[in-house]
Amino acid sequence: MMFRIARSRDGGSITHYDLYKVDTKKGMTILDALFQIQDRMDPSLSFRYSCRGAVCGSCSMLINKEPRLACRTQIADVKSNDMKLKPFAALTETPSGWNSNTEILIEPLPNMPILKDLVVDMTKFYDALKTMKLWSDTKEGDSPRTQSPEERTKIERYVNCILCALCYGSCPVNSENEEYVGPAALAKAWRFHEDTRSSDPERYIKSAMNPEGAPLCNLVMNCVKACPKGVAPGGAIRKLKNI
Amino acid sequence: MTISSFEHDVLIVGAGLSGLRVAIELSENLDVAILSKVHPLRSHSVAAQGGINASLGEDDSWESHAFDTVKGSDYLADQDVVEILAKEAPHAVIENERWGTAFSRTADGKIAQRPFGGAAYPRTCYAADRTGHNLLHTTFEQALRRGITFYDEWFVTSLVRSNDKICGLTALDIATGEVHGFTAKAVVLAAGGFGRVYGHSTNALINTGDGCALALRAGAPLKDMEFIQFHPTCLYGSSILMTEGARGEGGYLVNADGERFMDKYAPEQMELAPRDIVARAIRTEVLEGRGFEDEYVHLDLRHLGKEKIMKRLPGIREICIYFAGLDPIEEPIPVQPAQHYSMGGIHTDKHGVSSISGLFAVGENSCMSVHGANRLGGNSLLETLVFGRIVGQKVGEYIASAENPDRACVEQHAFEMREHLQTLLLHEGGDSPASIRETLGQTMDVLVGVYRKEDGLKAALKMIRELKERFKNVSVGRSDDKFNYALIRTLELENMLDLAEVITMGALMRRECRGAHWRLDYPQRDDENFLKHSLFRKIDDYIKTEFIDVHLGRFEVKERSY
Repeated sequence: MMFRIARSRDGGSITHYDLYKVDTKKGMTILDALFQIQDRMDPSLSFRYSCRGAVCGSCSMLINKEPRLACRTQIADVKSNDMKLKPFAALTETPSGWNSNTEILIEPLPNMPILKDLVVDMTKFYDALKTMKLWSDTKEGDSPRTQSPEERTKIERYVNCILCALCYGSCPVNSENEEYVGPAALAKAWRFHEDTRSSDPERYIKSAMNPEGAPLCNLVMNCVKACPKGVAPGGAIRKLKNI
Repeated sequence: MTISSFEHDVLIVGAGLSGLRVAIELSENLDVAILSKVHPLRSHSVAAQGGINASLGEDDSWESHAFDTVKGSDYLADQDVVEILAKEAPHAVIENERWGTAFSRTADGKIAQRPFGGAAYPRTCYAADRTGHNLLHTTFEQALRRGITFYDEWFVTSLVRSNDKICGLTALDIATGEVHGFTAKAVVLAAGGFGRVYGHSTNALINTGDGCALALRAGAPLKDMEFIQFHPTCLYGSSILMTEGARGEGGYLVNADGERFMDKYAPEQMELAPRDIVARAIRTEVLEGRGFEDEYVHLDLRHLGKEKIMKRLPGIREICIYFAGLDPIEEPIPVQPAQHYSMGGIHTDKHGVSSISGLFAVGENSCMSVHGANRLGGNSLLETLVFGRIVGQKVGEYIASAENPDRACVEQHAFEMREHLQTLLLHEGGDSPASIRETLGQTMDVLVGVYRKEDGLKAALKMIRELKERFKNVSVGRSDDKFNYALIRTLELENMLDLAEVITMGALMRRECRGAHWRLDYPQRDDENFLKHSLFRKIDDYIKTEFIDVHLGRFEVKERSY
């Protein structure tokens, strides 16, 4: 299988695409292919990785124009995958020469500055956690709080977020407006608002409804389709907007 | 270009649960910074599935938890350290619950607990099968709340000591490729395990034992390195973990003849015997011809039903669908043992104090001797939070009277490290790191695995030493300074080679069977000679080995059966 991979030695923008021939076998993932390239063909290819089991959220990238975790994407499935995302430039503009029948196209996750090859600058994505204070304020104590299974179920979907930023990279609003905090941070705000244990649930709503937050979302729902963990941030944002 | 230098009171290496918990403990009064080669949320703590032990139940007790841990350790755990773990467990769980972790709940709203291997009570608190994920994200949130300084994507290249005291470290900024010196009064190693020494491991690809290798090279001894936990149920092919919780919820292990074979090995605890016993049982079934394709057995969850699988084991189901193309609601899961955890590590006391003044260690890269020869499931997440706090307190005490570190010494080391890496990058014509790494993994899998014997271990040691020779001229290949992961992975390989040698030396000199260490040629536990910890100290170019006493206590050493 041929891989066409976006390169950017100095960061900033994609300067060119390199073509590699990868030996594939059954069960092989895109991440496996990237390691084969780095190990055997081109040590200069840079990409992030860690768990290889779709729990750490390191290896988000654009695979055949869809934002995906490289470790959870089987090479054999790439051609038939279709997230049905609402298009924006990074998802529609294809490099000249790309043959989608014979080549898998790998590019950095959109909507973030490129640092090198497939490594993007996630500073803004992470900073929202701090600026929006997305943590619990509870004081220390000697006993656990009670929470019913039903109450816990209400936040389950949101606590499953691995902060991989695929939602951020799939969002047309993030592609146009760099002020927008993005879907993951808003889903996390909703998670704390909905948590029966939160001492001041309203503060999360306030930070989510800042001008750079939920008001910017157009409810396109690409985030819901791209999320590998079923978090469905768009659903949380809709609820935020309806409060 | 000016090379800046960095200075903090305390440097913590690793941003998993252990490192974060130490930092939180120290953040109020000290200038503390965490260096991590990945963003904190990508640390391997995130992958822990099944849970965290604490005797919260009314009919449970810390003594029972301690006894199960000591028995599980095949009596090699230091009982005074186990006592701390078991006593402090409820506090650690309650603290994280109050920080926001969304533990699964019982009908009356309490933290739910499930049975786990080798435990007398259902004592394992959990958040579905994503307990590590929940604890790590919550603890990271609390670290952000406290404004802790992070150096994300920095790879620590050496520890610096001056006059037998730690005075800092050198680290490579992965984003730029520059090496900088970091000065500090104390360094805490919390860099995780070394599972990737093996080809088949459940561990993240980043678990390359960097903390242990740094300590070894700095002259701090490692301990009990031969005790490697092989998790019995790992997905055939990718070795992704299938949590012990799957058996805790009632999953069966079945061989190719359709038999629930655990009745032959642990008639009382069956599938919920400790990991070392279940791993050997599976390996034996396969070796004796009752495996599927001579490779694996089945973990069958089908009788649990769709609802229970969806509710209690959703992550397992997702992994099976995406990585094995099967749905455990409808099909059994092909599983085999793979490396999972390192019981050994940097030799410390129960406060994380190493043999070098100012150097501390905690979590999987330490060996406080809380797990002995075999760790019980649910005790590793617990170790990170309990001892993260305790080590933090100890570091605080140490700092109060520590002298100012020797900045010039750190600068000198940074200068030398830059030269060293330049030389490494200029090698041409040698082996590729990948070829050495693959041979190392295969060697460890085959010869230093679940079952060991002298000739195999000697062959492994010979091969590892040959690989170390070949590494001296390893060719990283042409790359850029920025995000040079080929270089990072080569430095990780260097770390793994050092550790593989020590693991194998330990396996050779321990002529007995104990916990996870199983010698076919010495099939008995030998308390007379080996109820002892092994110690490995690097002196110049050789490894000095010795045995030291185990801290025994209230639990009498007995035969271990389940």
